[in-house]
Amino acid sequence: MRKNLTKIAMGLVLSIALFACTKDEETIVVPVGAFTVADLAADTVTGLGPDGRPQSAGTTTYYSLVDNKVIAATDAASTKWDIAFSSTKILINGGTSGPGMGGAFVYVGLYDALKTIPADSSFATDNATAASYAIPWGSGKAWYTYDGLTTLVSPIAGRVLVIRTATGKFAKIEILNYYKGGVTLPATASVSDKLYKQRYYTFRYAYQPNGSKIF
Amino acid sequence: MSKKSLILLFFIIPQCIWGQQPFVKDTLFADGDSVVVTATRTERKLSNITVPVTIINAKTIQQNGSLRLTDILKEQTGLNLTSGFGAGIQLQGLNPDYTIILINGEPLVGRTAGVLDLNRIALGNIKKIEIVKGPSSSLYGSEAMAGVINIITDATMGAPLTIGLRYGTYNTVDANLETKLNTKNFQYQGFVNSYNTDGYSIRPNSNSRVTTPIERYSTTQQIKWDLSRKTNFVLNTRYTNEQIQNEIAVSNNGVTIYSIGKENIKDLNASASVNHRFSKTLKTSLRTYTTTYDAVQNLLTINGLPYRDVLNHNFKRIENQTDWDLSKKLQAIFGAGAVWEGVKSSRYDSEKLRKQNDIQYAFTQWEWKASEKFTLIGGLRFDQNSQFASAFSPKMSMLYKIHPQHQFRFSIGQGFKAPDFRQLFLDFTNAAAGSYSVFGSAQAQQVIARLDALGQIGNLFPNYYLLKTLKPEYSNGMHFTWDWKINPSSALSLQLFRNDIKNLIESQQVGTYISGAQIYSYLNIGRAFTTGFELEGQHRFNTNWSVNGGYQFLSTGDKDQIAAIKSGTVYTKNSQGYSRLMKLNEYVGLPNTSKHKLQVKLNYNSPKGYYLNLRAIYRSRWAVNNNNGNEVFDNGDVFASGYLAINSAAGKTFENGVSLQGGIDNISNYIDATNLPNLPGRTFYASIKYQLQKITNKK
Repeated sequence: MRKNLTKIAMGLVLSIALFACTKDEETIVVPVGAFTVADLAADTVTGLGPDGRPQSAGTTTYYSLVDNKVIAATDAASTKWDIAFSSTKILINGGTSGPGMGGAFVYVGLYDALKTIPADSSFATDNATAASYAIPWGSGKAWYTYDGLTTLVSPIAGRVLVIRTATGKFAKIEILNYYKGGVTLPATASVSDKLYKQRYYTFRYAYQPNGSKIF
Repeated sequence: MSKKSLILLFFIIPQCIWGQQPFVKDTLFADGDSVVVTATRTERKLSNITVPVTIINAKTIQQNGSLRLTDILKEQTGLNLTSGFGAGIQLQGLNPDYTIILINGEPLVGRTAGVLDLNRIALGNIKKIEIVKGPSSSLYGSEAMAGVINIITDATMGAPLTIGLRYGTYNTVDANLETKLNTKNFQYQGFVNSYNTDGYSIRPNSNSRVTTPIERYSTTQQIKWDLSRKTNFVLNTRYTNEQIQNEIAVSNNGVTIYSIGKENIKDLNASASVNHRFSKTLKTSLRTYTTTYDAVQNLLTINGLPYRDVLNHNFKRIENQTDWDLSKKLQAIFGAGAVWEGVKSSRYDSEKLRKQNDIQYAFTQWEWKASEKFTLIGGLRFDQNSQFASAFSPKMSMLYKIHPQHQFRFSIGQGFKAPDFRQLFLDFTNAAAGSYSVFGSAQAQQVIARLDALGQIGNLFPNYYLLKTLKPEYSNGMHFTWDWKINPSSALSLQLFRNDIKNLIESQQVGTYISGAQIYSYLNIGRAFTTGFELEGQHRFNTNWSVNGGYQFLSTGDKDQIAAIKSGTVYTKNSQGYSRLMKLNEYVGLPNTSKHKLQVKLNYNSPKGYYLNLRAIYRSRWAVNNNNGNEVFDNGDVFASGYLAINSAAGKTFENGVSLQGGIDNISNYIDATNLPNLPGRTFYASIKYQLQKITNKK
């Protein structure tokens, strides 16, 4: 697995205290990690099958939001990972997908506007046997739409994946792109580009290590 | 003006070089004496028409080298060609579903996904095309929401025999034979057209052609028979047979399936009418019309699976219209009729079961010529449908000739489009793409309840409980026109228009199967508008040279989307993929609509029969696909680029009846295989035509 992780410091470590201290003396010294992961390969296409469908090895890429790194598939049954990707399917470490405390829901709104996870939010877990996932899988269901005409996958604007990690902490994710290089291909792109440049996730996330729901 | 005096006029005017109808002039060149029938369902001089009308005459069609209806319509102001399910026409920003296409006043049927393929209509024998813009349901009922296009043939004049042959790029051969027989009481016109093309492939490295090999035959016959001085009988028939070789690549969820096979389309129309004049002020006509559209597509996929798609649509109508001139100033029309319409399709529950809708309707129109300067027309129509809610269509229009050089027209009306059979009865499950289903609204609840009893339904959405009898889609249209005859050789016309559409029928997800696959049906939910202006002008430099053109500015929008943007619930993504709120000024309106359309035509006509024209058509970009993560079209989405097409034709008509023509279409060779499949690259053609000169001259 190629690790092409770019850490873009959008205020790499943001201290809320920095802002808070100007108002009053309440000090919540909580560093919230803000990261961008680029071109995370997720079961990339190996060829075109005889049925015309893209073929791939069927792998899953496991990722730790806590450590901001890819976790080996051999650790799939551990709580080392928080979120996993396999083509357009996104799993969390909970329910049928893993032994962790993971859960998720899809928040409609802006990433920056989500400063506090609403108290009444309910986190779903994965149930692969019922084809029900915490982050629903399918075009228009959670984070992407698939256009049958252009055969392109586009992330839906204004969708934030709110994640409970394997260890019960909270994170928020915005999927930025599904294509290598972080740019959605034009509708006129070649069939080969559409096949082989897809399934590369670029996303940004914020992770709150103190267990609170405030980012 | 009666038909007889028109005929007389024809013989008085010195031999026309085209042997065509000299009194039919294009709108802008018209001196007001051109006769329009579509606007009021009765013969009126163009100068007395209260609504916006465009007339395209036979001479323009011939000199432009237009073969099919699409060829000439795409060169008109305010009209754009659409692709997908055949070539349709978009009128003032409204989709092809909303314009009714008539041949001699009778509607054509056989729409696929709302689109009537206008390539079906050959132009070889027509006298003129009339285009009425604005809702005209008060006279024509359903579909006349954006406007009406009426194709008119006429047996009463012209050469007894005309033969034409044209050959062009892609082995396109078009042959015409037209015969006319005119006696004192009896007129006959027969027309046969054959059109063959190899089709063309403008997609590089692809064996699937954009336009497939086609063989089309069509024939029309018209009989006009004066039974007495007061009664006449008119019979029109038209038959089209089309064979299309299909070589199709269908992609669904990344799965491409190649299929080959044939598509056969048969289209038969027949109308008969008896017209009787009781007195100078009272006449009536009884019309019957029947049409059948039959399309069968038989394909074999590359893995040997057969695919069959069948559509059979028939439409029968009987109608009476009575025109009563109460006084010189007040004229009334009364009409009533009944329609029996049925569709059989493999996309409904059974290909063998006919889905039926019966309509009864009545209409009236009152025309008041208050003075030489002012005319007011009011009309209304009521349509009673057996399958869906009834519709009431009022309209009012007026004409004010304020000055010999200036006149104003204003019209306001409500148009409607009935839910079509697909929206009522579709029963379609796409096994190739995730097994989603679409059920027509007339039976969706029933079908879903049955599936639910079988334990196949996962979830029912709130929309499911909103399913009910579909209402027609309504449009309220307003048109204001100012005509200015600047001097004898120049004229300008400005038209402002606005259409507000409600009850738009859209497919909506109503539930899911246990498997998670979606179930869709149709609901009346959308609201939209199209508005803008059209500016047309013409100028004659001298007896030989003239120029005319038109520009349309169009603004469209989905009202619910605009409301959502204003309320701050629509997002878009920036180039990095970060979401942000979408601003209203980023909204581009409805897909497939262009803000600007311009066409300019330069004409040369010499008294010796030479002519030349150069036509430039520009259409600005239009949105085709949403790809930046919202359902709303904005600047970040996929657009088809604006383009310029330049066409030219030249020819000469000889005294002995022979005429020659040569032409080039799309001179700059503009190609966009994805968005303009109907626009081949540069094509050339040459044609020869012979018109037997009139032997009998019974002046």
